[in-house]
Amino acid sequence: MTEPSVINHIVAGPPAAGHRISFFRLGGIETLELTELYERAGRLALSLRELGIARGERIGILAANCLEWMLLDLAALRLGAVTVGFDPAKFATADPALLDRYRLQLLFTDRPDDARPDSPRVRALGDVVRMAAEQASGRVPPPVVYTPDDVTSLKLTSGSTGEPKTLTAGVGSIDSDLLAVQEMFAHGPDDNLFVFLPLSVLQQRYWMYSALRFGHDVTISTYEAAFPALRQIRPTVVMGVPGFFETAKKHIEAQAGGPASGSDDEARAAARRLFGDRIRYLWTGSAPASAGTLKFFDSVGLPIFEGYGLNETCIVAKNHPGAHRVGSVGRVLPGKQVLLDAEGVIHVRSDHPVCRGYEQAPPGVSGYVFGADGIVRTNDIGHFDEDGFLYIRGRADDVIVQDNGRKIVVRPIEEHMRTSPAIEECVVFCLKQTHLVAVVSPAGDTVGPEEEKAITEQLARTNAAFGAEEQIREVVVARGRFTVENGLLTSQLKPRRGRILDTYRSAVNDTQGSVHAA
Amino acid sequence: MQPDTDSKIETVARKNLARVLESDIAADDLDLDVDMVGVYGLTSLNKVLFLMSACDDAGVSLASFTEPDVAEMTTLRDVTKALTRHAGEVA
Repeated sequence: MTEPSVINHIVAGPPAAGHRISFFRLGGIETLELTELYERAGRLALSLRELGIARGERIGILAANCLEWMLLDLAALRLGAVTVGFDPAKFATADPALLDRYRLQLLFTDRPDDARPDSPRVRALGDVVRMAAEQASGRVPPPVVYTPDDVTSLKLTSGSTGEPKTLTAGVGSIDSDLLAVQEMFAHGPDDNLFVFLPLSVLQQRYWMYSALRFGHDVTISTYEAAFPALRQIRPTVVMGVPGFFETAKKHIEAQAGGPASGSDDEARAAARRLFGDRIRYLWTGSAPASAGTLKFFDSVGLPIFEGYGLNETCIVAKNHPGAHRVGSVGRVLPGKQVLLDAEGVIHVRSDHPVCRGYEQAPPGVSGYVFGADGIVRTNDIGHFDEDGFLYIRGRADDVIVQDNGRKIVVRPIEEHMRTSPAIEECVVFCLKQTHLVAVVSPAGDTVGPEEEKAITEQLARTNAAFGAEEQIREVVVARGRFTVENGLLTSQLKPRRGRILDTYRSAVNDTQGSVHAA
Repeated sequence: MQPDTDSKIETVARKNLARVLESDIAADDLDLDVDMVGVYGLTSLNKVLFLMSACDDAGVSLASFTEPDVAEMTTLRDVTKALTRHAGEVA
């Protein structure tokens, strides 16, 4: 990487004037100039330093997306401190035990009952604005200069069971991602990037860093307020995940008179009503988007670009306006290299790795994922086409080795099942050697004869599209949708395969016929 | 609020909830008093989409509601009452 560090640039001095950051919640919006954000973060950094926060020390934040979150993160950057974000959907309370577990000096929380006098290191998020205001205007913290190996953030991965794994994020990896994204998408003064996923995910904070460095607007909302925010703020870019875009697609189709009956013009108009009239592109990642969803947004005039990356690698590949192939996750970013092993499993080498191993993980896990040379084994299976576009076929964990030695990659089968409007999610298991069983989450809330017929018809279509060893013998219809609330989807809206199996194990084992309720 | 306004708002709320649920439950068959998340599987994103559309149709500004207000709307009756309270204000 030859370009100057983005992180060093944004801590070294105020951003260019004329760009704004907004925080949207239901019932209100708060907007300030990026220059003011920078100035307030500097003052907050001074207050944090008076509280004993020094370079390398850790500040925890357990809160919904808000101004205070970003002020704390930026203040931590100004001090060389490390931000540890906790997703409010996963951490119900600011338990003081988090302080020791993640080696935090302070933990800020928006849960009013959690900040108690007997735990002075657990502080109310509401203190942040006051702390910044108490410092005299014009004072700034001493400048911090980062090397590529310095750490700005601790990431918590969303393991499906037990304590999350943790890994540090190095400045070099953040710089390299932000520079590559800017090269691909050329965010500029007319852009307003919309962020609604949790700021506890480092990549969501990238877009504030991008605004400070490259000069554009950014709007941050809570997850619940995302749709109302869209039409009010009229962003040019939406940073989303497939589940969000699938919900939006269904809404647009319904507003346009239904998937089958609406005209393209009606769908385009409904899409503009929902997303506003300034969209330049939609960003999707973190989970595979269905072909139907990608095609739909392109058809209504909202270009959508899928990418690929893990917490352990950051962004590895990304489609963009200059290089886009639907169905792929794009070409590999500069500074990254994808190596495919004999099984097709993707390994990622980075000029600037995120880290060299997990800080906390069950025994043996770090050594399995991180090679001694910093190469990350992703466990995803992929291939390249002749033009260098990367395609993800599924997880190595999703590969079922049958009695006859045949390996079945289940994701394409699952995606084919999901092309039915009656099926929202599909997860395929193979508990009896060669006997594939699908558990489907229905699209509607009730499953009557008509839905069963639709699922049966889809089963026939899917089986007709796949080989003899890839036939689904039975479909278990789940008792209602998989949701984040019932624990069967992650907060990134991916199915939790293990929990789904635990929930429906007896039905999966129970041979009752081709399609049956759980 | 006039009874015909109440009735119109209930109709609007029923229609829009039925639409986001994508189920076979007819708008008129929706139970006003059951938990929309627990019984109908309403997701948090769809809850807001439902409320947005209902506000549009009822001429109520969504800005009338904060996130705690929305969190407290657990049944369809909660929604119709909330919309009715704000109906007639400038949307």
